[in-house]
Amino acid sequence: MSVEPRTLDMEGTGRALLEGAPVLVGLPGDLEVNDQLFRPVWERTRRGWLALFGICMGMTGLLFTAIVYTFARGIGAWGNNIPVAWAFDIINFVWWIGIGHAGTLISAILLLFQQKWRTSINRFAEAMTLFAVMQAGIFPLVHLGRPWFFFWLFPYPSTLGLWPNFKSPLLWDVFAVSTYFTVSLLFWYVGLLPDLAALRDTSKSKAARVVYGIFSLGWRGSARHWRHYRVAYLLLAGLATPLVLSVHTIVSFDFAVSQLPGWHTTIFPPYFVAGAIFSGFAMVLTLMIPARKVLGLEHVITDRHLDNMAKVLLATGLMVSYGYATEHFIAWYSGNKLEAFAFFNTRPRGPYAPIYWLMLTCNVLVPQILWWKRARGSVWLLWIVSLLVNVGMWTERFVIIVTSLHRDFLPSSWAMYRPTWVDWSIFTGTIGFFGLLFLLFLRFVPSVAASEVKELRRELQHEEHARSQPPRAAAPAHGR
Amino acid sequence: MATSWVLAEFETEVGLCAALRRLRDLGHRRLDAHSPYPLHGVDEALGLRRSPVPLIALLFGVTGAVSGYLMQWWMNGVDFPINVANRTPHSPPTNIPITFELGILFAAVAIVLGLFALAGFPRTYHPVFEAEPFRTASVNALWLSAEVDPEQAEPLERELEKLGGLRITRVAEEGRR
Repeated sequence: MSVEPRTLDMEGTGRALLEGAPVLVGLPGDLEVNDQLFRPVWERTRRGWLALFGICMGMTGLLFTAIVYTFARGIGAWGNNIPVAWAFDIINFVWWIGIGHAGTLISAILLLFQQKWRTSINRFAEAMTLFAVMQAGIFPLVHLGRPWFFFWLFPYPSTLGLWPNFKSPLLWDVFAVSTYFTVSLLFWYVGLLPDLAALRDTSKSKAARVVYGIFSLGWRGSARHWRHYRVAYLLLAGLATPLVLSVHTIVSFDFAVSQLPGWHTTIFPPYFVAGAIFSGFAMVLTLMIPARKVLGLEHVITDRHLDNMAKVLLATGLMVSYGYATEHFIAWYSGNKLEAFAFFNTRPRGPYAPIYWLMLTCNVLVPQILWWKRARGSVWLLWIVSLLVNVGMWTERFVIIVTSLHRDFLPSSWAMYRPTWVDWSIFTGTIGFFGLLFLLFLRFVPSVAASEVKELRRELQHEEHARSQPPRAAAPAHGR
Repeated sequence: MATSWVLAEFETEVGLCAALRRLRDLGHRRLDAHSPYPLHGVDEALGLRRSPVPLIALLFGVTGAVSGYLMQWWMNGVDFPINVANRTPHSPPTNIPITFELGILFAAVAIVLGLFALAGFPRTYHPVFEAEPFRTASVNALWLSAEVDPEQAEPLERELEKLGGLRITRVAEEGRR
């Protein structure tokens, strides 16, 4: 086994180390890494956690109350009408699913590109994906009107003798979102196995040992496990990468395949994917900045991570801005009166104009501050920017859906949409439910992948070692 | 037949690999290495072949995509054609998304189930867990394990000591009588 060729291969890390702050502050031992990252799991429940948990529990209660109310009264309990038949349900669906995409991007795409800085944040981001997709799924399900017949969406040999219409983008959505959730869950769980085993082995109580023992499936860190595990993990990342792009492409088809001005554009798939990653990175920052402070993970999730995420935020923000520009350009260039009316009258001057201008401010103007290194280095500023981007991306979906629908082709069909208390309750309820799941995640599972940090630490050590010594021609293969 | 498990901790990857090679040369075959993260060189030292997981993924991915396409063709084009605004019942472009998604779904599920089958999961009990020091294998230590007949355990322990093994532990597994 020779060490040198591998360390020379790792130009990515070497360059990264020269460029900025380290991806890991100090090189603590494996045991220290373990202790630090597992502390949130083993320590006693904190008061702050309990308080937040209570709040989120209350919001989740509101969510389920509003859902039960909707089931009892029907969709009429919402503000939806004709022509605005899609409103909060689809806005929130697209918003949540977009948030989820950053998790897959961080864990899968950055893994394939061998970006070392992903290691400390991938677990966190994947959990966010999973929980965000769960929130997203609630909306179309409830919007079915008769959700107890949800299985009609799937092709099963029913007594009706009917099959679903596979030419409908809404059915593509069913397959895309359910596949996305399944693959995200598998990827996250497989990634967790080594840490669950470490939790089993560091547990003090019998109960914890049994529970983590069951969930770690008997992981022994055997060379035979790792051999299949590494390939499986890499392949799942390779599959998740085109999957995440396809999911938001298909979500955008829900709109782009229709004939409605404001929806019927070919820029939608790439623009939606960029928007999804933009909002997802914003949400990762929103959650991670407080979490790393509270959990004391600043040496693992370093300023370097925040800086990199801010750069991704800026880049995807520019892509989204380009999407807006293209939409408006095509509306003018096509010479289509209805397109031009939608983009140059309804949006900037119609009754929902403030939301349109808020969208442009949050998504186009605000991220520009991230060109400055000092802005990216300021935790508070970054957190505020990330919140504004979350708001901006929600308003973007509002503009696309409600603003495009409320001015129908004939002025006699125009109508306004106003969300009811049920709409608001379900929306805020999902935020609470998301928070609830996230708090449970932070409490019961290490939020940073300890096994991967240990591996990264070892690689960085090798690199340090290689830099301090000029590379030898060939390391002797011992024992041969 | 009863077997014994001999466990030894090693301080470095290099030491662990060297010990594995030495034991293989001595004729031991039921060897394994345990570590909190994947090690380099251990697969070669143990003489492990390439993982078949990629092949499983390919087979199931193709199966998922093909069956996904055939399903849509048969259901919408053959068994129950639905005429929507006189569009063709079987329309290949509209069948691409679901074909793709099902390919991914089958491949991903097969990868995970394949991993479980190949690694023997779930198996929550294993004789090596009887050794208390072995619990560090998932935390910060590198361990070698060897499954041997009880009479071979003693010489193996002496050999491991010579090779630099620490905290050498033996677990006796009572077999079928």
